[in-house]
Amino acid sequence: MTRVKRGYTARRRRKKIRLFASTFIGAHSRLTRTTTQQRMRALISSHRDRSRKKRDFRRLWITRINAVTREDKLFYSYSLFIHNLYKRQLLLNRKILAQIALSNKNCFDIISNKIIN
Amino acid sequence: MATRRLLGAVARPLRFSNQPISSLPNFGTLTLRSKLVTFSQSPPSNTLNALAYTSIFRCFSSRTPDYSGSEDDDEEEEDDEGEVEDSCDEEDGSEAGPKLVAQGGKSEAEKLEEAASIGYKVIGPLTPSENPFKPYEPVFAVVQIGSHQFKVSNGDSIFAERLKYCEVNDKLILSKVLMLGSRTETIIGRPILPDAAVHAVVEEHALDAKVIIFKKKRRKNYRRTKGHRQVTHSPSFLQ
Repeated sequence: MTRVKRGYTARRRRKKIRLFASTFIGAHSRLTRTTTQQRMRALISSHRDRSRKKRDFRRLWITRINAVTREDKLFYSYSLFIHNLYKRQLLLNRKILAQIALSNKNCFDIISNKIIN
Repeated sequence: MATRRLLGAVARPLRFSNQPISSLPNFGTLTLRSKLVTFSQSPPSNTLNALAYTSIFRCFSSRTPDYSGSEDDDEEEEDDEGEVEDSCDEEDGSEAGPKLVAQGGKSEAEKLEEAASIGYKVIGPLTPSENPFKPYEPVFAVVQIGSHQFKVSNGDSIFAERLKYCEVNDKLILSKVLMLGSRTETIIGRPILPDAAVHAVVEEHALDAKVIIFKKKRRKNYRRTKGHRQVTHSPSFLQ
């Protein structure tokens, strides 16, 4: 075979990787081999956490609703609240709309009062 | 994801005689104004066919809704996903409640709009020169698009999944409104408010930022890389 120099192909590939990892700390953005490894780890984390993000937010909303429903009443909790929601066919106020509990607290109180009765 | 831009918009809740459940008792003295607007639209084509269909918006004179009674449940809820056949919105006047101005339009939809309303929207006309954005009002509505719910108010814009049969600058009417609220009153739909409608205008079709899907199994010599861009629509809520 004729002689083939590798030229700039590897450099271009590594430049892209380095651009991706350009904001990493220390050697993770400077040394090539470390950079490629850190880039792989970053991408894996982001892939996994995209699914996790949905779970995390749902947990957060549930905790918030729980906190709000336990404030005024004894023996009231998130589970009872959700049970009443479904029983009253308020089928479609999802957990994200216990952001209402944050922003318009009185609306949330009205909902919960309506549901209890 | 992008930030929300504030444009003028209004949520239009509609009150109908015994449908919704309102909470605060000071509705005895509501004065209603009626507004007559009729216009016919020819919404843009469906996906590939150039179907021309018209939906006519009619406005009726005002009614005084019953807020005193009707603590009971409404009739059975509609199905969760799917057919909202006619988007029947009756027009009310506006209330003299402290901060709530509500209006709506009634549309007699043809059957071809059923397809459009699977995603809980109805296509209105394109807006050539209208500037329907109202200034901000402290009312919010909870709207469902597809399987996502949004808490919207006048002038919000939102990123939604791809909506079929929509083009840029289309007016949409989102017919699945779950709740309405303002500083003084809340109306809770069970599960939806049958006569409430939220109007929106599709601002853009866009692709999301690129997401790199990277899978790796260590020590097993397995690595896969893929890129993905999701199509989004962004409607912004007007009156």
